[in-house]
Amino acid sequence: MSSDFYKTSILPFSGIIIKLCRAYTNSQEDFEDYFQEVCLQIWRSKENFREESQWSTWVYRISLNVCLTLLKKKNNNRQYFVSDAITAEETEDNYAFSDESLNLLYDAIRKLSEIDRAIIMFYLEEKPYKEIADVIGTNPNNIGVRVQRIKTRLKNILDGKIY
Amino acid sequence: MERSIENIWKEGFLKSDALVAPKINNLYNQKSIHIIDKFKRMFRINLIAIVAFSFVFLIVTFFVGIALTGIIFFVVLNVLVIINKRLLNGLDKIDKGVSSYQYLKSFNQWVKKQVAINKRISTFLYPIVFLSIIIGLWFKDAEGVILGKRLVNEVLMGFPDIQLIYGIPLIAIIVIAVIVGLLFFFGGRIYQWDLNIVYGRMFRKLEDLMTDIESLRS
Repeated sequence: MSSDFYKTSILPFSGIIIKLCRAYTNSQEDFEDYFQEVCLQIWRSKENFREESQWSTWVYRISLNVCLTLLKKKNNNRQYFVSDAITAEETEDNYAFSDESLNLLYDAIRKLSEIDRAIIMFYLEEKPYKEIADVIGTNPNNIGVRVQRIKTRLKNILDGKIY
Repeated sequence: MERSIENIWKEGFLKSDALVAPKINNLYNQKSIHIIDKFKRMFRINLIAIVAFSFVFLIVTFFVGIALTGIIFFVVLNVLVIINKRLLNGLDKIDKGVSSYQYLKSFNQWVKKQVAINKRISTFLYPIVFLSIIIGLWFKDAEGVILGKRLVNEVLMGFPDIQLIYGIPLIAIIVIAVIVGLLFFFGGRIYQWDLNIVYGRMFRKLEDLMTDIESLRS
């Protein structure tokens, strides 16, 4: 991967990639693996980009797919997604942010289903519903309804913990 | 007052230094280690399977009455295992402290050497295996008579003019010689074909990984 490609095509989106990878991992080691794999897959898939969507949408889609694939691989001894039976150890990050409220929010996000995690991340990153829908593969109206439900769920999880 | 999740998100990341992207320098380390460990595991399992098979086959041939085949098989296969075990020991000498690329390159060289040696062995192995079957059947006891001699006698009753060399029909010697020659000639290719069935996918993965790293370095 040339450093030019990394600087121009990945680095501008690294913030959201980092945030997304954090939502699917709970250790620094896993996070770095996920981040590297995402960057590699973006680089490998660059020839397949047909400009049918924005480059950012393409990057987010790859990032999400890689995270979901790695998560599934990691839990391949289970017949279902990890969010179906999340334990406390799997939601608590052993590489905490300096902001305690942010840590609590991340722990709460990790309690959501895999797709809900992605939706709320993109929403919090102020991505338009249209772009979130393009990444997830649904329609923007569904995203709007889903975001409200996720926010309610997060509020319930965080109830009284953050002021 | 309770803060909204949008505010927690924005303010949390403003304060945090958590958005520093990890360096992509140790890339492929885990992949290299994983793929090579998988190779080693497969090689070991393969060798154990060959030893187990040689024992089982030896016992079976004793019961079937072609013990000679079983003994030759047993010796040949175990010699093959000893040679490959020594080759496998050489793999542990590869320095793990070097970069992923160097490690993969050393491993790739080891694989090539291992394949080349086994290819040469195979040119002899398959003919020996075939001859051991013929010898075993020839000396099999058939109601107090050696099966080979009994068959020759029966052939002589039908074709009394058939030419014999040391009591074996010339035509049989020619057929066996041709098969042995073909196995000698194609032994390396048969091994390669066999190798591709067992390790083909792994070899392709290794090649892809090396290509990826090479393009990353360019």
